[in-house]
Amino acid sequence: MEQNGKADINSSPHSLGRRELLRNAATLGMGVAVGLQSMREAEAKRKTQSSQQTPLTILNGPPVGPDEIPRRMLGRTGIPISVLGLGGHHLGDVKDVNEAMTLVHEAVDAGINFFDNCWEYHNGRSEDWLGRGLQGRRERVFLMTKVCTHGRSSQLAMQMLEESLRRLQTDHLDLWQVHGVTFDNDPELAYAKGGVLEAFDKAKQQGKVRFVGFTGHKDPSIHLKMLQMGYPFDTVQMPLNPFDASFFSFQHQVVPEALRRGVSPLGMKSMSGTADAIKQGVLTAEEALRYAMSLPVVTTIAGMDSLDVLHQNLRVARGFKPMTPQEMQALESRCAATAADGRYELYKVSLKYDNPEARRPHHYPIDQTQKEVKEMLQEAGGQNKQAH
Amino acid sequence: MVKKDNSQEVNMADRHEPEVAPKDATRRQFLQYAGVAGAALAMSDTILPTAAEAVPAVAMPLLMPLAMSNTGPGEIPRKPLGRTGVEVSVIGLGGSTLGNAASYEEAEQIVHEAIDAGVTFMDNAWEYNEGRSEDWMGRALQGRRDKVFLMTKVCTHGRDRNVAMQMLEDSLRRLKTDHLDLWQVHEVIYYNDPELHFAPNGVIEALEQAKQQGKVRFVGFTGHKHPQIHMKMLQLADQHNYHFDTVQMPLNAFDATYRSFEQTILPEALRRGMGALGMKSLGGGGQPLMQGAINVQDALRYAMSLPVATTISGIDSLSVLRQNLAIARGFKPLSVQEMQAIRTRSAPMAADGHLELYKSTKHYDAAEGRKQHGFPAQEELPV
Repeated sequence: MEQNGKADINSSPHSLGRRELLRNAATLGMGVAVGLQSMREAEAKRKTQSSQQTPLTILNGPPVGPDEIPRRMLGRTGIPISVLGLGGHHLGDVKDVNEAMTLVHEAVDAGINFFDNCWEYHNGRSEDWLGRGLQGRRERVFLMTKVCTHGRSSQLAMQMLEESLRRLQTDHLDLWQVHGVTFDNDPELAYAKGGVLEAFDKAKQQGKVRFVGFTGHKDPSIHLKMLQMGYPFDTVQMPLNPFDASFFSFQHQVVPEALRRGVSPLGMKSMSGTADAIKQGVLTAEEALRYAMSLPVVTTIAGMDSLDVLHQNLRVARGFKPMTPQEMQALESRCAATAADGRYELYKVSLKYDNPEARRPHHYPIDQTQKEVKEMLQEAGGQNKQAH
Repeated sequence: MVKKDNSQEVNMADRHEPEVAPKDATRRQFLQYAGVAGAALAMSDTILPTAAEAVPAVAMPLLMPLAMSNTGPGEIPRKPLGRTGVEVSVIGLGGSTLGNAASYEEAEQIVHEAIDAGVTFMDNAWEYNEGRSEDWMGRALQGRRDKVFLMTKVCTHGRDRNVAMQMLEDSLRRLKTDHLDLWQVHEVIYYNDPELHFAPNGVIEALEQAKQQGKVRFVGFTGHKHPQIHMKMLQLADQHNYHFDTVQMPLNAFDATYRSFEQTILPEALRRGMGALGMKSLGGGGQPLMQGAINVQDALRYAMSLPVATTISGIDSLSVLRQNLAIARGFKPLSVQEMQAIRTRSAPMAADGHLELYKSTKHYDAAEGRKQHGFPAQEELPV
C-alpha cells in the first residue's frame, strides 16, 4: 500500500478495527478491570479480523535500496528507526571491548540506528562499551537506555540518568525507558508522587531526554495498566514472537492499545528469551526474527553477542520484506500447541527469571541458591569481563 | 446490591485519570454487578515512592456479601449456590488434603466431625491421590450421604467425553453414591484448555450427558492459573449458550491485587447467576502464613466474606479442622473497611506472586494434566 513513499506495514491480520475496539472498550467500562478488558479487546480483535476497518498503522521511513535496512517512523516523533535494533545486554556479553566496539561500528555502518541499553546491564559495562563504540557516531544513532528504580524515587532515577549519560559519553538520550515493569504494583509505584515518571518530566524539561517509554516481559495486563493510567509515553517495549501470539499475548492485547494511543511498540525476545524453541527445532532463528519484524512494531531489538550473530541478523534485516499474513499464521499455528503452557516463554511463567535487582527493592524473597539468581547477581556485581 | 463508596470518586479524580471515562448505562450496570471501580487504576496521593514504604492504594469497594441462613451462635452459616436453589455451608471440606490425613481413621473422623458441625459442602476430584481421596470420602460418607452436597471433578485435561464418562463411573463407585450434586471440569489452567473442553465430543458434552442420565445435578469448572483463562471459559460458554452452575477459583487477600480472580471473574460469575466457589484461602501451600504476611483468621475470614457460596478449605488433620470450624461457627462477614484494610496491607507483598505460587509458577500444575497435553513434566522444565 504505497502512498507518498510511505507504506502501511501493518498487514491485515494484525490490524485492529479502531472503532470496534473503542466501542468494545466503552461498553465494558474501560479501566474497571484490566484483565477483563484485555480479554474483551482480544475478543474484539478476533471478531474484527475479517471485517473492513481502518487499520492502525506504523509508517515506513523513506525508501531504501534493496540491500539496505528499512526504517519505520517512530510514532508521533517522525524519526526513522531501523527495523532491527541492537540489544544492549548482549553487547556486554561480547568477548572483549574491542570486539564490542567493532560490532557497534559495523552495525551503525550497516544502517542500524536503534541502540538499546540499560543502567543495570552488567553493572554498567554494557553502557560503557556502547558509549565507547559510539564515539564519533553518536549523531547517527537513536540512543535508548533504561532506568532501574524498580519502584523507587524520581531522585534515584535522576542519579541513574547522570550515570547513564556519563557512561554513554553523551549529553542526552533519545529515549529513556522504565526498565522491567514486572510486578502488579509497579504501575502504581511508577505513577506515585515522587515516582519515576516525575523524573521523566524533569529530564525532558532539562533537555537530557527526548522521548520516554517503558519495558517489561511479565504480563500484558501490567503493560495495559501502565498505558491506561494515562502518561504520554512515546514507546512501549515488550516480548513479541510466535509463541506470544497464543499465550498471554502482548501482540494481541498490548500492541493494539499502544497503537490506538499513538505509542510506538518496540519488540524484544523474538527468540523467546532463551532460544529454547529454536534449539528444539520448533522454528529457525531466521523465522523467529522475520516474524517479530513483520509485526506492527517500530523496531525489533535483538541480542547480538558476536560479529557472527550481527552478520546473521544483518542478512535478515537488509532489504527486509515482512512475511505475508499466511506465513505468519502458519508459524503461529506451528507454535501454538507448545505455547499453551508457556514453556518457551519462561519469563512470563516463572519467578525464577525475575531480575533479582528488581525483586530486592520490593522486598520480595530471593532464592540465593538458584543458579539463575546467582548468575544475575554475579553479573550485577560485575565479577567478570570488566572493561579495560 | 452495591453501596457507593465515595473514596473511590476521590481516587478516580487523581491526575492520571484513565483516558476513557465510561459514562454510559452499561458501566453503571456493570458496577452494580461488580461493585468494583477503578480497580487497578485508582491511585492515592499518599503512595510513597520508595518501594519499602509504598502501600499501593487499593481502592476497591467490596462486592456485597451474600445473604446467609443458619446464623445462630455456634452454627455454621449457609449461603445460596448461584441460581441452583441449594444452600451450602460457608466452609467446605477440601478433598485433596483429606487424602493426606495420617490415616483413614483420621480422615473419617474429619468428615464426621465436619458434618456434625454443619459443614455440607464436600470437594473432591477423580485424580486426587490416585483415587484415595474419593475412596476415603465415600467410606466416611456412608450413612451421611444425604446430609452433604457432594462435588467431584473430572480430569480429562482436554480428552474426549468417553474418558469423562468412565471417570464419572469411577468417581460414583469410589464415593459410593448414585449421583453427584456437582461435577466440575478440573484444572482449567492451560491457554488452550477452553477450546479443548468446548470442542465437539469434548468434556462439556459429557457434563450434559451425565445430567440427562440423572447422575449429576449441577456442573461447573475449576482452575488456579490466570483469570484470563477463566474468562475464556465464560466467553466460550456464552458463545455456546452453555450455563455453568458454578465456577471455582483461588480467592484470598493476595488475589485481590495480583492477577485477580476477585476483581475480574467473581463479578462476571455473579452476573451470570453462577455460584462462586473459593479455594486457596491460605495461598495454596500456606506461604503467606509461613512468611507472616497474614494470619489464618484474617485469611479465612477475608475469603469467606466475599460473595462466594463456600470457601473450600484444605484440612488434613483434626486440629486444622477444629481451627477452621472455630472461625466458621457464628461467622459474620468482615466490614467493607476491614476488607479494605486487609487488601491494602497485603498488596505490596502480593504483586510478584510469590505468595500465590499456583499462579506465578508451574509448581501446582498436576502431572496428569501436563502429560495429557503433551507438555513436558515439571522436572523437565527449567522452572
